[in-house]
Order: sequence, then C-alpha cells, then structure tokens
Amino acid sequence: MIGFWIAAAGLSAAVAALVLRGAARGLAPAGDDPALAVHRRQLSEIDELAERGLLAEGELKAARAEAGRRLLAAADQSAAWPREGLGPRRVVVTIAALAPLLALGLYVVVGAPGAPDQPFARRVAEWKAGDPAMLDPPRIVAILEQAARGKDGANPELYRNLAIARMAGGDAVGAAEALRKAVRLAPQRADLWTALGEAFVTSEQGQVGADARTAFTEALKRDPGDVSARYHLAKALIADGRVEEGLAGWRQVRNALGSEDPRRDVLDAEIARTAKAGRLVDAVPQQAAAGEVTPDMIQGMVEGLAQRLAAAPDDPEGWVRLVRAYAVLGDAARRDAALKDASQRFKDQPRVLAALRQAADTPAQNLNLPRSDGR
Amino acid sequence: MIVEFGAFALVLALALSVAQTGLSAAGGLRRSGALAGAGRGAALGAFAALACAFAALIYAFVTSDFSVANVAANSHTAKPLLYKVAGAWGSHEGSMLLWCLVLTGYGAAVAVFGERLPPRLRAWAVAVQGALGVLFLAYTVFASNPLARLADPPVEGRSLNPLLQDWALAVHPPFLYAGYVGFSVVFSFAVAALIEGKVDAAFARWVRPWTLAAWSLLTVGITLGAFWAYYELGWGGWWFWDPVENASFMPWLIGAALLHSAIVLEKRGALPGWTVFLALAAFGFSMLGAFLVRSGVLTSVHAFAVDPTRGVLLLSIMGIAAGFGFLMFAIRAPSLNAGGLFAPVSRESAIVLNNIILSAATATVLLGTLYPLIREAMDGEAVSVGPPFFNLTFTPLLVLALAILPAGPLLAWKRGDARLVVRRLWLALLVAAILGLAAYAVVTPRKALASLGLVLGFWLIGGALAELAERVKAFRAPWAEVRRRAGGLPRGAWGTTIAHAGLGLFVLGACFETAWKVETAQALSVGGRIELGGYVLTLTDVGTLEGPNYLAERGIVRIEKQGGGLVCTAQPERRFFPTGGQTTSEVALCPRGLDDLYVVIGERRAGANDQPAWLVRAYVNPWVRLIFLGPLVMALGGAISLSDRRLRMGVARKAKGAQA
Repeated sequence: MIGFWIAAAGLSAAVAALVLRGAARGLAPAGDDPALAVHRRQLSEIDELAERGLLAEGELKAARAEAGRRLLAAADQSAAWPREGLGPRRVVVTIAALAPLLALGLYVVVGAPGAPDQPFARRVAEWKAGDPAMLDPPRIVAILEQAARGKDGANPELYRNLAIARMAGGDAVGAAEALRKAVRLAPQRADLWTALGEAFVTSEQGQVGADARTAFTEALKRDPGDVSARYHLAKALIADGRVEEGLAGWRQVRNALGSEDPRRDVLDAEIARTAKAGRLVDAVPQQAAAGEVTPDMIQGMVEGLAQRLAAAPDDPEGWVRLVRAYAVLGDAARRDAALKDASQRFKDQPRVLAALRQAADTPAQNLNLPRSDGR
Repeated sequence: MIVEFGAFALVLALALSVAQTGLSAAGGLRRSGALAGAGRGAALGAFAALACAFAALIYAFVTSDFSVANVAANSHTAKPLLYKVAGAWGSHEGSMLLWCLVLTGYGAAVAVFGERLPPRLRAWAVAVQGALGVLFLAYTVFASNPLARLADPPVEGRSLNPLLQDWALAVHPPFLYAGYVGFSVVFSFAVAALIEGKVDAAFARWVRPWTLAAWSLLTVGITLGAFWAYYELGWGGWWFWDPVENASFMPWLIGAALLHSAIVLEKRGALPGWTVFLALAAFGFSMLGAFLVRSGVLTSVHAFAVDPTRGVLLLSIMGIAAGFGFLMFAIRAPSLNAGGLFAPVSRESAIVLNNIILSAATATVLLGTLYPLIREAMDGEAVSVGPPFFNLTFTPLLVLALAILPAGPLLAWKRGDARLVVRRLWLALLVAAILGLAAYAVVTPRKALASLGLVLGFWLIGGALAELAERVKAFRAPWAEVRRRAGGLPRGAWGTTIAHAGLGLFVLGACFETAWKVETAQALSVGGRIELGGYVLTLTDVGTLEGPNYLAERGIVRIEKQGGGLVCTAQPERRFFPTGGQTTSEVALCPRGLDDLYVVIGERRAGANDQPAWLVRAYVNPWVRLIFLGPLVMALGGAISLSDRRLRMGVARKAKGAQA
C-alpha cells in the first residue's frame, strides 16, 4: 500500500510540475502573430503559382489584392497579450494542487483502495502452498497447468491428473486435450488411451465418435481386457446398427466384471433395454449436456483413482480426493474404508488427517449413480 | 498496487482534463499567457497520467490479473503474449481507454507542437480538446472503467474472441483510433476558430497537418481491418459494407473532402464555412462510429457487447460535443467571409465538385448504414442494406469523382483553361484507354464494365504521373533541369501524386479482383484434387496440431500450375478454441505476384468409402494485393505531405525569406 501512495504522490507532483512549468512558459512574451506570417507567405506564393501557369496573368493582380486584403485584416485583428499580474499565477498554483486532491477524492469513490495486484503466477503459488484438500477443480487445474509448463511437462501422469481435474470442473474438451498429450508421452499405456476415449465420449455428449473409437481401439491393442474400451466399442457397433454384435460385446463385458462390481447391474439393465428396443435407448437422459460429467465418467475416474492409489499409495492428495469423491457419491462404505486406510497410512501427518476428515464430511450429491451396497 | 495506481492515474487524468479545459478557456478569454500555458501543462499531465493508466491495464493483462474485471472477461492464461497485450484494447472498456489515451495524446501534441499558432486559437483548441477529454474520460471512469476490480476473482479468464486473436487485428485498432480521434484535433481547431470568429487561410494551414495525419492513420487502420477481414473471416472478400466498416469509412470520406477544401481555404481564402463544417463533421462521424459499435444497435462482427445504457451515454456525449460545435457554426456562419472569387472552370471548382461528390457519397453510406435502424424504429421491420444498394448509389458517385480527379491538380486557380488541361492529359487518357481495351480483349471472360474500371485506375495513375511530369517539365526541358525541378519539388506535391496514384492502384485491384476472381468449394478426402483458374490443388494430408490455446486440423494442400511444377504448399487450418468453444478458419494465402491463391479448410465430414473428407474452398484472387497496397500508398502520400517543411515549421522561415 505504501508503494501506491509513493507512486500516486510522485505522479501528482509530476503533473503539478507540468502545469506550473506550462504557466511559467506562458508568461514569456509572444513573438509576431503567426497568422501574419501565413498571410505573408500566401502573398509570396502567388507569384510561384503564376510561374507554374496555375494562375492566369489576368487573375494575378486580383489574387494579389485579395491576399493583401487578408493580410491587412489579420494585422488589424492581431494584438499582443497584456502583461500579467499575480492573479493568474495564484489560480494556477491552486489548480495544480487541487487537481490531484480532486482525483484522490474521486479515486476513493470509484477505485478499490488497498486492493493488491493478483497476478496469476502469484495466486497459483499461494494455492500450491495452501491446503490441497481445500482446492476446487479449477484451482487444481491451474496448479497442474503451471506444472505442465515447467519441468514436469513430460510427465504423462501429470496430464492424466490434469484431465481428471478438468473433467471434474466440467471441461471434457480440456480433459481430452490433456490426455492427448499424455498418450503422446506414454503411448504404451492402455489406461490413458481409454481415458482419452472416455473424454471424447463425454465431450460428444455420449456419442462414441470417430476420435473415441480410435482411442478405444488403441487401448485394446495394448490391453485386450480393458472393460471400458470394450464397452464403448460395443456401444459404437449398436449405434451403427450392428445391434447383435454390440450386445454380444456387452455381454462379454458383463461377464468379465466381478460379481461385486456395481457396474454389472447397470449394464444388465442397459442390455435388457437395448435388446428390447433393438437400438440404443434412453440415450438422451444418459447423455450429459455439453461440458457436464456423466455418471459413467465419474465412476470411471473414481475407480481409476482407487486403482492407482492401490498401486502407489504414497499420495496424500490422491487419498483426500478419493475420500471426497466417495463422500460426494454418497458411498459411505467405501468412503469409510478409504478414510480408515489413509488415516492409518498418514497417521503421523496431522494436516493430511485433518484434510481427510474434512473430505469425508463433504455432503453427498444426488448423481443417480449405482452404489457399492447395491441400493 | 500497480492496478490501483493505474485506477488513480485514470481519475487524475480526468481531473487534469477538467483543469485543462478551465485553464485554457480562461486563458483564451482573459488573454492570459500564464493560464493558457498552465492549460497546456495540464494537457501534458493528462496524457502522462493516462499513459500510466494504460500501462497498468497492459500490466494486468500480461500478468493475467483476473481481479481486474476487464481482464477476467477478455483474457486467458493460455493466450500468447501479443494477444494478452492486444486484449487491453480488445474489449469495450479497454478500447475506450485507448480512445481517451489517443485523445489526450493529441491534446498534448497540440500543446507541444502548437508553438507557432496564434495564442488565442491555441488556447481555445486546447480547451475544446480538454472538454472532449472530460466527456470521454468521465464516461470511462464512471460507466466503463477498465480497471474495475472483482472481489472474488475467477480462477481463469473467459478469453478474447478468437477471431480477434490475430496480428492484423492487434494493430488495427490503435491505427484506427489514431485516425478517428485525430479528427478531434480538427474539431477542436474548428470550434476554437468559430469561437474566435476567424476562419481564414491561417486556420486552414494549421488544421491541414492534423487532418493529413488523422486521415493517413485512418487509411492504414481501415486497410488493416479490410486485410484482416480478407484472410481471417475466410469468405474471400475484403469489404462487405458492414455497418461498422461504414462507420469507419464515413469519417475517412469526410476527412478526404476536408483535406481538399482546406487547400482552397488556405490558398484562396474561399470556402471557409464549408471547410469548418467538414472539420466538425469529420469528428462527428468518428463519434457516430464509436456510438454505433458500442451501443448494441448494430449486429456486426465488430460490435462490442450489447449495452443500451452505454449507448445512450455515448449518444449524449456525441450530442453534447457535436451539438456545441454545430451551434457555434450556426452562430458564426453568417459572418464568415466568403473569400476569393473563382470561375466555374478552375481548381477551386474542381475541388468543390470533389467535395460535393464525397459528401454525397458519405450521405449514401450514412443512409445505407442507418436505414435498417430507422425502419426498425418506425415499423419494427428488420431489413438489411447490403452491397447491391451501395453498388448502385455509392459506386457511380465515386466513378464520377475519380473521372475528374486527374484534371484537378492541373487546373489553374481562379480561372482555369480546360483546353490546356486536355492537352496535358490526353496521353494519360489514351494510354489508360489502350490498357483497358487490351484487358477487355485478353482477359477471359470478357467484362466490359470491369475493363472500364481498369481504364479508370490507369487514368488515375497516368493523370498523377502527367501532373508530376508537368511540374518537373519532363520531356520538355533538359534532363538536368528536370532533375533540379524534381529535387526542388515540395514534398506536398510528391504526396499528392503518390496518394492519387495509390487510389489508382486500389481501383485497379478492386475492379480486377471483383470481376475476375474464381472460386470453388468441394469436399475432398486425402489425395483429392480440384482444378481452379489454371491451378491444380491436391489435399495431400490433414493432421492435428496443438497451438498455445487452440487445437487445429491443418490441411496440406499442394498447389501446382496446370501441367507445370509446384507453386506452393498451402496449410489452411481450422482452429478450435476450447476456452470459448469457438471455431475459426485460418486461411492459407499463397501470394503469386499481385494475385493470391486463397485456401480454406472446413469441417471434417464423412466422405466416400468411409474416408473422412473436408470441405476445401479455394479462390484465385487476381490483383487482390493492389487493394491493400493502394491505400497504403495513399497513406504514404499523406505521410510524405505531412513531412513537408511548409506544413511543419516553414511558415515563419519562408515568411522571413519573403520579407527579405
């Protein structure tokens, strides 16, 4: 704030000095009336015009007389400015002082005194330094994007996390863009290709378009058992009118799911509906509006996060997200299990424990998702 | 701190503009050098303060400070630096700040460079310029503050319209505003002269450099805008008589008329009323443009967000400023001296005719621009006035003006000799006619009207050269004499010749391109070919590409001459900006001399045999480069004229010489 006052005072002093300097220069006696010089020059130009043939001989005299008359008229009206007393100088000094004061008064009304600059880089640094559990998806996106511009730019996991965060923030197109980078960096990873396919599906309102099909096909090349890729490619077949082939694919997917897997029931219902109608049905309600996250997607993301933490559990931020995700989904059983697991693992880190507890307290939202307890 | 310092500086500029107006007016009224000088100091101070405010806004854009509402609404962290900077004037609020910066900049320029002006005229001009500053700055501070803060800044900004993320558009507004607002000085001089009651040759001399500067800058600004429309909007055209294009064209036309009438006033003391009227009208049209773009009354690619409240405020500012100017005109006009007499055939008459035509042309553009608004206000019917109206009304007027143009500079003042002019121009006319006939005979398909247009273009260039030849006595005097004469020619004369020839270049380009451009559109899969205007275009590949803030599909189009080798490889793009969810076309241009091969790639769609296909549109635009080159040459002519010593400072020097 002190910087503001110094700068404001400096600028005020500088402009006041300009006003005073202007007044001092204005006091210097003026020379000839410049208008007279213009009219004299007019007179001298007439001969030049005549020489170039642009003024006929006959007109020369009349033109000279006209210009002469104009010169005389201007000379008549020309008069030097009077010498000045102290009055105007006092007015000038007063105004030079008053203008910055008036500005200051106005600024207090229309400005935001004391509001600091908030350059983006500084805000991101503050978010990074703060409690990760308190961050919402857009802030996580900002942190990850900044990391991607830095030395972590070649880390596929970072882009995967960025995609999850963007998806959670409702930006399916951005998620696909991040995953595109991820698969470029780690083309061997089937899970990234699947996530990319899912992001395309979400961004195209549930349609399994050409880009999504390519991504799922790439995923299957690397992991022929990938459930999501098989599910979506089968769905694409149904959408293309190859209903029986597609349904057969779905049945295989269903059988591949574990008996405890909640997705099994959902898929059963979908198979039954589609078999009855002979085409994809109920597609519209299942499709999310542009930019929204579909239940499929969230479920997939949470499953992915859980699997990742099982493989690499030393990730407090990931556990906090997982607990919060279960809490949001209203899945109390898994929430508590994850909370217990994580609390055990990070029992020496009070900040993480607090964040975990806070995440567990997040109220559930009705997302119409199947629950792990089968209800 | 920097943003708030900028906000303070903005308010300080307003306070200083008030001081500038009051001090200068008091100085003019009381004939006080101290007060008038202090007013000039305040003008400099206002400009300095506003420069600080503008720098603070640019800083906020560059650092993506989304606590500034304007930055949050018009920028994004992923935007390239140039467009972050340009974002500062890409929005309504920021562009108003630029407008004010230019306005106070011109005020400061009058204060600094007006040393040789009569003190009262200068004081009144600075006062009027200050008053304009007060109006526009008050509007900016209270109704459209670009440095307003948000209590709860968003994480990310909403980004700038992707169509505006382009280099030509980044530099187009500063030029345009320098032109538009340059006419404010002309306006201020006109009001000052009316207050003084002295509209004479001296007034014309002082107003002419400012008019030249504003008009030249406006020419560059409009040309950049047309070039942007040509290659960014992807429809192959460069002018669509869009209301906002018209809004910039009207002050240009009036400015051109003023440039010429000011010469008559300066040389002959004639047309004082008309000249001062044009000086008022030029800035009036600038303000009309600002109102049309910002009020939401027009729908246009250029129009800023719809905001009726701001529209009403801007209309009020225009009403106050123009109203005061024309009120002064109404009061003083009857007492203005009619000036020198002239015969029907004379340089003065030619310029009067030029002025009448330019004014009539402006009136037709004004009518075409406002008619949809008037109709909608009267009977609620939405109509649009497009190119057919302007082709029928504007073009014939322009043709008439261009046809008589080369004769003007060769006519004598007061009483001209038409036969003499014909003797000096017959060769130019003959050459133009032969070239036009040749075009008619050679270029297919044959088009008589377009060929006549080419005659007109060659006539303008030939006429300009003929006038130059006349002045240096080319082919009539020994070479040494010609060189001596050319060296001694004032820059103003060179400027006139160059500007008139530039107009000829433009006419050639506009006629040729409009009449003989060819286009095609076809869905192509990779490997597909189209033939167009003697070229074969092959879509050899389509790949994806990641830009800094967009994803793109980029087509690789191989262009070959029919039966010949590779001409160039065009790479048109279709860009998708995830932030706003908008898609833009990035046109690929292959310049071929004066021609352009212009390729646009469209959306991917299903083609034959399940192969994806892309709609490829291609144009061969012959001589299109002249359309942009011509006006730039005109602006160059203006700049050269502006550098003429006589306009800058030579008045006193030459006058001393004359006295001696």
